[in-house]
Amino acid sequence: MIFCIEIALKKELRDAEGTSLIKKADSYFGINIQEARCINIVTIESDLDHSQLEVVKDEILTNPVTQVSSLKPLDIGFHWCIWIGFRPGVKDNPGATAMEAVTDHLGKTFGPDEGIYTSKRYCLKGDTLVRKDVEKLASELLSNSIIQQFKVFSIDEWDKDIGADVKPAKVILDHAPCFEVISIESDEQLAKISDERNLALNPRDIPVIREYFLDSKVIESREKMGLAEPTDLELEFISQARSDHCNHNTFQGIFRYKDASKNEEVVENSLFKTYIQDPTLKLKEKKEWVVSVLWDNAGVGRFDDENNYVVTGETHNSPSNMEAYGGAITGIVGVYRDPMGTGLGSKLFMGSFGYCVGDVNYNGPLKPPLHPRRLLDGVIEGVKDGGNKSGVPTTFGQTLFNPGYMGKSLVFVTALGIMPNQIKGRPSHEKKTSPGELIIMSGGRVGKDGIHGVTASSESYSENTPAGHVQIGDPYTQKKMHDFLLICRDEGLIPFITDNGGGGLSSSIGESAMISNGCVVWLDKVPLKYEGLDMWEIWISESQERMTIAVKPENLDRFMELSAEHEVESTVIGEYTDTGKLHIKYKDETCAYVDMDLLDKGFPSWEFDAIWLSPETRGLTEPVISSPSDFNKLLLSMLERPNLSSKEWILRQYDHEVQGGSVIKPMVGVKYNIPSDASVTRPVLASPKGLAFSQSLLPWYSKIDAYHMMTCTIDEAVRRLMAVGGNFNHIGGLDNFCWPNIGFDPNKNPDGTFKAAQLVRACRALKEACEKYEIPLLSGKDSMYVDGHLVGEFGERVKVSALETVQFSGTSVIDDISKCVTMDPKVSGDFVYVLGVTANELGASEYYDAFDKTGLNVPHVDFDKFKVVYKALQTAIENELVASCHAVARGGLGTHLSYMTMAGGLGMEVNLSDLPIDTSRGELLNETLLFSESAGRFIVSVSSENKNFFEKLFKGMPAGCVGFVTDLHDHLKVSGLHREVLIDLSMEELEKAFNKTFGDMI
Amino acid sequence: MKKVNALILTGFGLNCDNETAHVFELAGARSHKIHINALVSGKIKLADFHILAFGGGFSWGDDHGAGVIQALKLKDHIGRDLLNFVSQGKLIIGICNGFQALVNLGLLPGFDSDYTKRSVSITFNDCGNFRDQWVHLAANTQSPCVFTKNIDIADYPVRHGEGKVIAGQKVIDTLLANNQVVFRYADIQGIPAKGAFPLNPNGSMEDIAGICDPTGRIFGLMPHPEAYNHFTNHPDWTRKAQLLKRKGKTPGQEMTIGVKLFKNGVDYIKDSFF
Repeated sequence: MIFCIEIALKKELRDAEGTSLIKKADSYFGINIQEARCINIVTIESDLDHSQLEVVKDEILTNPVTQVSSLKPLDIGFHWCIWIGFRPGVKDNPGATAMEAVTDHLGKTFGPDEGIYTSKRYCLKGDTLVRKDVEKLASELLSNSIIQQFKVFSIDEWDKDIGADVKPAKVILDHAPCFEVISIESDEQLAKISDERNLALNPRDIPVIREYFLDSKVIESREKMGLAEPTDLELEFISQARSDHCNHNTFQGIFRYKDASKNEEVVENSLFKTYIQDPTLKLKEKKEWVVSVLWDNAGVGRFDDENNYVVTGETHNSPSNMEAYGGAITGIVGVYRDPMGTGLGSKLFMGSFGYCVGDVNYNGPLKPPLHPRRLLDGVIEGVKDGGNKSGVPTTFGQTLFNPGYMGKSLVFVTALGIMPNQIKGRPSHEKKTSPGELIIMSGGRVGKDGIHGVTASSESYSENTPAGHVQIGDPYTQKKMHDFLLICRDEGLIPFITDNGGGGLSSSIGESAMISNGCVVWLDKVPLKYEGLDMWEIWISESQERMTIAVKPENLDRFMELSAEHEVESTVIGEYTDTGKLHIKYKDETCAYVDMDLLDKGFPSWEFDAIWLSPETRGLTEPVISSPSDFNKLLLSMLERPNLSSKEWILRQYDHEVQGGSVIKPMVGVKYNIPSDASVTRPVLASPKGLAFSQSLLPWYSKIDAYHMMTCTIDEAVRRLMAVGGNFNHIGGLDNFCWPNIGFDPNKNPDGTFKAAQLVRACRALKEACEKYEIPLLSGKDSMYVDGHLVGEFGERVKVSALETVQFSGTSVIDDISKCVTMDPKVSGDFVYVLGVTANELGASEYYDAFDKTGLNVPHVDFDKFKVVYKALQTAIENELVASCHAVARGGLGTHLSYMTMAGGLGMEVNLSDLPIDTSRGELLNETLLFSESAGRFIVSVSSENKNFFEKLFKGMPAGCVGFVTDLHDHLKVSGLHREVLIDLSMEELEKAFNKTFGDMI
Repeated sequence: MKKVNALILTGFGLNCDNETAHVFELAGARSHKIHINALVSGKIKLADFHILAFGGGFSWGDDHGAGVIQALKLKDHIGRDLLNFVSQGKLIIGICNGFQALVNLGLLPGFDSDYTKRSVSITFNDCGNFRDQWVHLAANTQSPCVFTKNIDIADYPVRHGEGKVIAGQKVIDTLLANNQVVFRYADIQGIPAKGAFPLNPNGSMEDIAGICDPTGRIFGLMPHPEAYNHFTNHPDWTRKAQLLKRKGKTPGQEMTIGVKLFKNGVDYIKDSFF
């Protein structure tokens, strides 16, 4: 039987969700709703009797103080009612917890045909509402057709007894699981099948695949298992393993790089090996704190004598572009599994985010899958639920806007964990699988969701992109698993662990079985969400919240006992062997039998032509803009720019201090509203040590040269760490590349060769920066297809590519957190210094962007000169000579002096004529000094008592005493090159501008 | 020397257990992180402990009302043990999700020794969203709450989407009359916020941030005192430390007001039971 329980707030209570809907309907669409009430609907399909249903309704689902509920549709008045429910198969987290509660409370077990499902309806009142408006709200604000369905009822269409007539959103496949044999008669035929089945096999791989299956020895050994030509499961396995997402073919590829202006022609054989692996391995030898890099799910560095920290970062761009909430929550919950699956498993202690989206006020003709405003709302909410419910603080994050991200927006998520360096006397960062160990899958169940997610993220977005790979993460299930696995780890029950992410079991078992050199997997044992999945679907499904673990048979009982206590589902699904074979069975039938070293069979490298055209060759010049006359107005308008204005509303939604180790928060200052340079966290509460963490994104510089984009991005991340008290001798790096398609095609991608050259240059810069600053790359990932083909006004599709983007994250271990520094000037009378040189470097700056110009003079990084200053700054902070310190970043000195003034709540008076300058790149005018984005600079405040020590320490370095802090007023006063007054703005005026763009959002 | 044993619940999406255990240790107790199912199965006996902490987190994902399913599960399986624990004069503290669980269990407000009646609810913030911010709290010095002895004002962070305390006017009047309102959201001087956002971050009636039962031994609050376990947790610490250094003083010498709250509880047990 099917029953619906409706629950709503008592009518005298404020409906916060309804209020928020009214506000968004008005501000997004100008639709006027007078009243909105939200009703939760719980649909139960089961044999519960009436009295049991009453118990479920009253004791589980209804709060007697605040709510009313009924087994019949609630009689709440409306002009229009919108019902929103999940599509079948979409993860319904509240439905699952309701089943858990009913099971526990009534002692009832749910059969395969029973279930609980949740949905909602909104009762809207508004005299002027018409169906078209209501459908717009339903489809463009309240639901996304990829995961949800809606119904709209006018009051005349409403039947008070039937209500929304909600049916269980259950999956019925009615399909007998099977596998197919694929004919490989010719390359063409296999290519055709690859297209039809969405296998995304690279045409260059096809001959290698055929050659393998046509090999007489292979044929002979497969015959014994009853197999001949490859099965669909085997081809899916190869496709997953060879996808760019899993195999990083681009970074392993061959680049023919040409720079005509320098007459340079070289062949790069592997960007990864040359520019990432080699320098990092050399640094690992040199830096004893580097524990484990470049092979595991995340890199490992030493935190203290007893603990190591773990760091990794991911993007989740493609799914987030189609279903922002689902994509983002799956992204953050997914990246949190990486530290859990690093070494023998680490405990998560912080995360961060980076969002790059289009203009949130875009009203032009192009139609992205989701409008940037809606996309940003959804992404913010997804990371909120995923991060907060994981119990992991989100201590840092940035959001930036550029029209290129309307093609594909970027969602970066980063995760850090901590683990004891020894488990039962063995190093925790080492792990291996051995023959005889059982393969266990823990956590969630397997469904159709996520199938072909990996191959889809290896392609640009088009009308053919399958939508089925969008999922909704379940942080609750994962948190239970996280707690359970740490106990197993500490009891020494886990010799190997890895997560199931892209590629599902195919990746996790495929890779882990290489260590023992073989496995046998019993696919029929894998617990499913619903029956009817084919073998290949079980094998490659990317259903979330799952880990693959090796357990020795003698430890199985204890492992399962702990699993049961924590209410985590764990199942033995196979065994590691040393047969050299990947052997997959379903009941008694073999559906895959291939050699473990199949993937080493000489698959060809990808090849790219990379042709560099220098900015001068491309005709870039500095723009002609005369000096402004109203600097007050100019500075205020800079602070209003989306990229420089307050994003407090985002950071406030994220729990940034759960786990109790917050030292430097994401926002600082007297009003706690100015973004800090970096966060500092104590992952070990009994230790005085802290982990500083920063991130930087400067994609705009790629408009001129991705080489300088990369050096500036890394320099900013390092500078941010140094500003809070970071240790220059311990800086770990994490590179997340997001690049538009670099494969040349005269019609589809005519500038592919240029973008490929940009990639080569960025990699060269990465190596240079890492060597000069001695930054080992603890982890890194790439996402190579950040383009979109958006429908335009006349039915055409326009390709929109994102800027070549790298998010660089830095980690540093601080010995004594009590010496950490924040950016707010603290005491009147302190002197203000600017460290580092200001040059004419407005190229691709926020200032030029304000005039729609790009320019040419992109900032340059002089690593050797900068690092002398950074080390001196570290000494100054360690000796407590510095009262405040702030890294100058996007927007230049004018912007960052404003941030400091607002953070301190005190006045600042600054003379630009006292700045250390460099005129080698051009004339320096007042606007250049205020808005140039020259790298390597800090603003520092120092007490009069420490002035002499401080100046001695920086002797011979660019360090100018440019002004002072005062409590006589709360203005920022800046005088120009001729000591003329340029800027005189009160804290109130600065804050008004800073909060103008997003200040009313909560 | 006998130790005060504090039981901190874990499992099912709870997530503040580590820092809550840490702060109890700083306060002089011995902390035990215990999975809810270990109490349900009887493997661990509640009676062996002096203080029970319902910590923060998202038990059962906050689905169907924050703290609701946790309360139901505990009531179903160890309801009697909880009531015995209370009648023995032991202490219970519920923080954030734990506070939500306490009101859903009926352990709060506990009028007329009825520890099963749900009469207070903690619902969605008026601002419509989850918020992480530090708040100023004014303590009611007339309150019987044992945890807030000698505390008049305190700063702690709130981190919740559902923190608005509401109840029928009669219940609110009784809470006020009995001095069961322990903490109210206030300005920096300790003057109640009178509902003004963001001083009162969620729209709680009467600016209520925390309440106790009439004995003062059961205490629930939305802010997180355990997140102020070290002086560097406070958002103003770098400024305060700089000012202290100028006076030749070293920051971080005093126990934080966060640890002090737990120490009050631990000291109470020592005075009453040892």
